This record gives sequence, structure tokens and C-alpha cells, in this order.
Amino acid sequence: MLVLTRRPGESIVVGQNIVITVIEIKGGQVRIGIDAPREIDVYREEIYEQVRQENLAAIANVDEIRKAVQDRAVEDSSDA
Amino acid sequence: MDQPEHKALLEKALHFPDGLPGLPELEHFVIVELREDGAFQQLQSLDNVDVSMIVCVPWLFFPEYAPVLSDIEQTELDLETADDAVLFVPVSIDTESRQMFLNLLGPFVVNAKTKVGRQLVLTGTEYTTRTLIELPVV
Repeated sequence: MLVLTRRPGESIVVGQNIVITVIEIKGGQVRIGIDAPREIDVYREEIYEQVRQENLAAIANVDEIRKAVQDRAVEDSSDA
Repeated sequence: MDQPEHKALLEKALHFPDGLPGLPELEHFVIVELREDGAFQQLQSLDNVDVSMIVCVPWLFFPEYAPVLSDIEQTELDLETADDAVLFVPVSIDTESRQMFLNLLGPFVVNAKTKVGRQLVLTGTEYTTRTLIELPVV
């Protein structure tokens, strides 16, 4: 992994058109600004990871989930 | 499966150009109804027959659910109005407690006209990947 030291207001350029700027450092937190083309998805790593893990679990347990949803009653709460 | 049949399936299939988080290589899916009341569906991969997940329309359980698509996502999916969008979310189970959950943080959104879709990872929201649903055993 490339490790760089930056101060608030300084940036890192990735490729032709991604710029990552350190905006502020305060109390153990770093605020970061990201300029990237629209087609580049930017996520907080732990949020993306949660969705990824949840997908893999939903696929691994699909037989059990299918059986459960076929066997159980659904009370439509949208009319409530 | 022979070729013409596979082609017919692909024409009806949903296309997720980016795949799914965790499964970027799986782009083509079909929706199979699981119940007469239409409450749950199976999202079946056509690229790998062993991969499928159970999904449902979240508003059946959470009428207030209101995910916000970014401009980028709306543009990518070519969604001009909300009426063009079909939305569903993954269903999961805790294999020990048998409790069931909806993933409200990672909804699938599909353009009903083009059949192109993607799984979103919502940002700036309180929704979680594991929101408990009540599904009584009958």
C-alpha cells in the first residue's frame, strides 16, 4: 500500500480524474472530499462490506429462506 | 439448456451491468414468483445456476420506506420518473433464531422498461442490512 502524508487542504490525485482532498482533521476524525467522475462509485468501505456480506449470506441460506417465506403468513401492513 | 431457450430467457432477464456487491461477474437474473400472493420472489442468476436469493417488495412490511436515489443512479438507470422503477430488497434469515430480515440498505432498483438494474448501497441513511420482519409460522 502506498502511504502518503498530507495536511488539511492538500490533495492526492488518482489517475487522470480523481482528486482526494483532506479537508479537516479534528478529534481523531478526518474529513475527506472526493472529486471523481459520475460513473465512479464511492462508498464508505464498511457500508459496502455490509451489503456484500449480506448478499453472500442471503445466497448461502437461500433454501432455508425460500422454505421460510413459503411457509409463513404475511400480514400486509401497508393498509394499516 | 439449448441456445434458443437460453436466448429467450435472457431477453426477459434483468441486466445488472455492474453485477452485485460480492458477485461482480453475475449480470443476468430472472425473477421467479414464490407465492400466489406475490409477496416473495426468487432472484435467480442466469450466469450461475447455483446462485439465487430471495427478495421482496419492502413496502409490504415497511410502508414508510423511502430510499433516495442519487442523480447519478437515476441517470445510470435512465429513470425519468419513479413509475419506471421497480424496487425490491434481499431477504435473510438468522439460521439459529430463525428470525428474518430485510436488507433495506441494499435495495435493487430496476428500470421496468429497459430491464437494466443495479443493487444500490444507500448513503446518508439510517436503514440497515438487517431489519427484522414479523413472519408468523402458519
